[in-house]
Amino acid sequence: MNESKKVPVTILTGFLGSGKTTLLNRILSEEHGKRIAVIENEYGEVGIDQGLVINADEEVFEMSNGCICCTVRGDLIRVLGNLMKRRDKFDYVLVETTGLADPGPVAQTFFMDEEISSEFTLDGIVTLVDAAHIDQQLGRSDESSEQVAFADVLVLNKTDLVSEDSLKNLESRLRDMNRMTRIIRAEQAKVPIETVLNLSAFDLDQVLKRRPSFLEPEYPFEWTGVYNLEAGRYELILEDGPDPEMSLVAFKDQGTSEEDLKEGAESCVRYYAESPLEIFNGDHVPFSKHVNLNLKDKGPKSFILDLDQSCNVGLFTQHTAEEFDIKLLSVNEKNKGELVTTEKERIWVAEHEHDDEVGSIAIERIGDVDPEKLNTWMGRLLAEKGVDIFRTKGFISYAGNPKRIVFQGVHMLFTAQPDKEWGNEPRRNQLVFIGRNLDEEQMQKDFDKCLI
Amino acid sequence: MSNLEPFNPRGMLHDGWTSQVDDFAIACGWAKKGNIFLVGGSAGGLYAFNGSNGKSLWNKESSHQEGLLALDINPEGDNFATSGQDGAVRFWNSENGNELNFIDLGKGWVEHLCWSPDGKYLAIAFSRIVYVYSSTGKEIWKSEQHPSTVSALAWAKENELATACYGQVCFYDITKNKVNQKLEWRGSLVSMVISSNGDIVACGSQDNSVHFWRRSTGHDAEMTGYPGKPSNIAFDHTGKLLATGGSERVTVWSFEGNGPEGTIPGELGHHTEAVSSLSFANKSKLIASGSRDGSVVVSFLQNNGDGNPVGAAFSGNSISALAWKPDDCAIAAVNSKGGVNIWNFKVRTES
Repeated sequence: MNESKKVPVTILTGFLGSGKTTLLNRILSEEHGKRIAVIENEYGEVGIDQGLVINADEEVFEMSNGCICCTVRGDLIRVLGNLMKRRDKFDYVLVETTGLADPGPVAQTFFMDEEISSEFTLDGIVTLVDAAHIDQQLGRSDESSEQVAFADVLVLNKTDLVSEDSLKNLESRLRDMNRMTRIIRAEQAKVPIETVLNLSAFDLDQVLKRRPSFLEPEYPFEWTGVYNLEAGRYELILEDGPDPEMSLVAFKDQGTSEEDLKEGAESCVRYYAESPLEIFNGDHVPFSKHVNLNLKDKGPKSFILDLDQSCNVGLFTQHTAEEFDIKLLSVNEKNKGELVTTEKERIWVAEHEHDDEVGSIAIERIGDVDPEKLNTWMGRLLAEKGVDIFRTKGFISYAGNPKRIVFQGVHMLFTAQPDKEWGNEPRRNQLVFIGRNLDEEQMQKDFDKCLI
Repeated sequence: MSNLEPFNPRGMLHDGWTSQVDDFAIACGWAKKGNIFLVGGSAGGLYAFNGSNGKSLWNKESSHQEGLLALDINPEGDNFATSGQDGAVRFWNSENGNELNFIDLGKGWVEHLCWSPDGKYLAIAFSRIVYVYSSTGKEIWKSEQHPSTVSALAWAKENELATACYGQVCFYDITKNKVNQKLEWRGSLVSMVISSNGDIVACGSQDNSVHFWRRSTGHDAEMTGYPGKPSNIAFDHTGKLLATGGSERVTVWSFEGNGPEGTIPGELGHHTEAVSSLSFANKSKLIASGSRDGSVVVSFLQNNGDGNPVGAAFSGNSISALAWKPDDCAIAAVNSKGGVNIWNFKVRTES
């Protein structure tokens, strides 16, 4: 059957009280022109007068071979097997799971059972998170971190009950656990329907098109501001912030295009690797040098920048400008005391403490890989660690193959297929693994051995 | 839609009659010794035809709210039973479509029905519970909760019922209300058949294998290597040949001698897509196989499981059920678009 004719299925997961039923009712009551069949868990309580709501016990079937990727949800096979004979009545399926459900077998059902995969296609996994309680839940149960790890979309619900600061912290914690996911904030599960349905998240063609920058390197700095400055003296002013010190590198001739910013970021990483020069309130900031601003004094602190000729100055700071209310003032005769605004600002995904067992590992390398070596490595990795690897996505450059190879996987199940031609684009590889207790360093090393 | 080029009936299959019902036909069968042909549609429509010419006798639009899940014809009576997503079982008169009895089991699906060979009992699978009712609609027996949803029912003997679910096959004496035998195996059993002497029970499994047990010795074996899951399996009337689907081929295991362990099965490769229905003739080693490609092939089997096709026909859409007429002189096929085909089968009859 044609791929496009298959009925898309969205899996809705989340802990009890996260708002699944509210979201489900919202989707069902909205005018979207879809006839949706809902498969609810036994505790489900869809309140809408809706024709096709089926309750099913969650029956997880392990196979005698003990292989985790063969584990499927028997209830879904039965219910969907019967539903597909009633295609006239629906064109979309929503599966709601209990808070205790492991999303693995649910997702695997759509790959492992040929009868199901010939009629249905897994569109995406949407996980609802109760912003007020997820912090505790993540510490307490494996299921909740697995539901976060599997998600294509995380709906951060009940944001009205939580402060902006804790939301930011929570978002960064969730993003550490699953860097492929899209996080949407919501109150009372109010989210635009198109952000949860028709995601084509498991469609290989869509994996990278949707969010080409899903893989962002982690820099040791969070913010870059580029200022267009004439020759003269400037004062960098910082208010009291979250830390008594902050690392900074200032560059001359910093461009403002994305490419220039990345280039700046990469040279900046090299400077950050060197030990910083500590400077104090009133000191000069040297260019192209890693400095550590001492911010222990209360009140505004200022640092001096001297320019002998006009140019673009780029500041790469450890924390965002907002956190210290960073300002740049001109102290030249001509426009003394005038505030200089940035030409360009860029916030980088910051490096955080990885204290959750579940996390994302990203491998990004330029060049070609040897298909045989890669297969051997991936095969071994998934066989040994498949239980702990929840999702895999990415693309690879095979030596001698004009096309980019995209792939995605759930546990040990793994599909790869050729995508667009590389053309003039530089050959590179991007892999993201989301899983539990993964050894990033070892995986990076092993991958490097596959490079030619 | 099928990708096959339409073709006319070949070999020993000849045009009989055709008809059309309103939706996906999920079940069919012959009642009143082949005088009536019954079809059940997924939306709950029931249709009765004159068995010899296809003339419509009666039909019902919606036998079960939300849809029909099972239809089974009493082998010894004038009635048949249906069940559906409404948690109900209904008994019907085959001749006029009058409803004879109605059982409301509650909220849930009633997925499987199975008449005992003598037509006295109807076994009913309702989620994790199995009931046995009399043909007049009285409750005779009720099982304990099974560990998971019951996936298949079969009668081993007059009073002995087998149930399959994830992890086990269980044999119950329904008149003494006791468990005769429990065969455990960690796997999701999706289909079950029992040989005519009641000794061999075979199950198709979700992990693309067929598992079988010999009840007398307790010996069991697993046949692996199927490309897909063998949802369709069938024993011939002698209980020596086990035909299995699970791919576009029909794989036939022979229980002659010390087989099938260590033997090579017969393989019938006449379809282009997965086998979707299998039915042995009532009194001979003829197997009819229907496929998702819309074709039906009748093959004559040897004792070792090998076989040759003797007839073929095309119905246009994925075959959902097959039924031999009680005298084996015709085979019926219904399909996913509601197509009904009856082909006459010219068989040499033993005098």
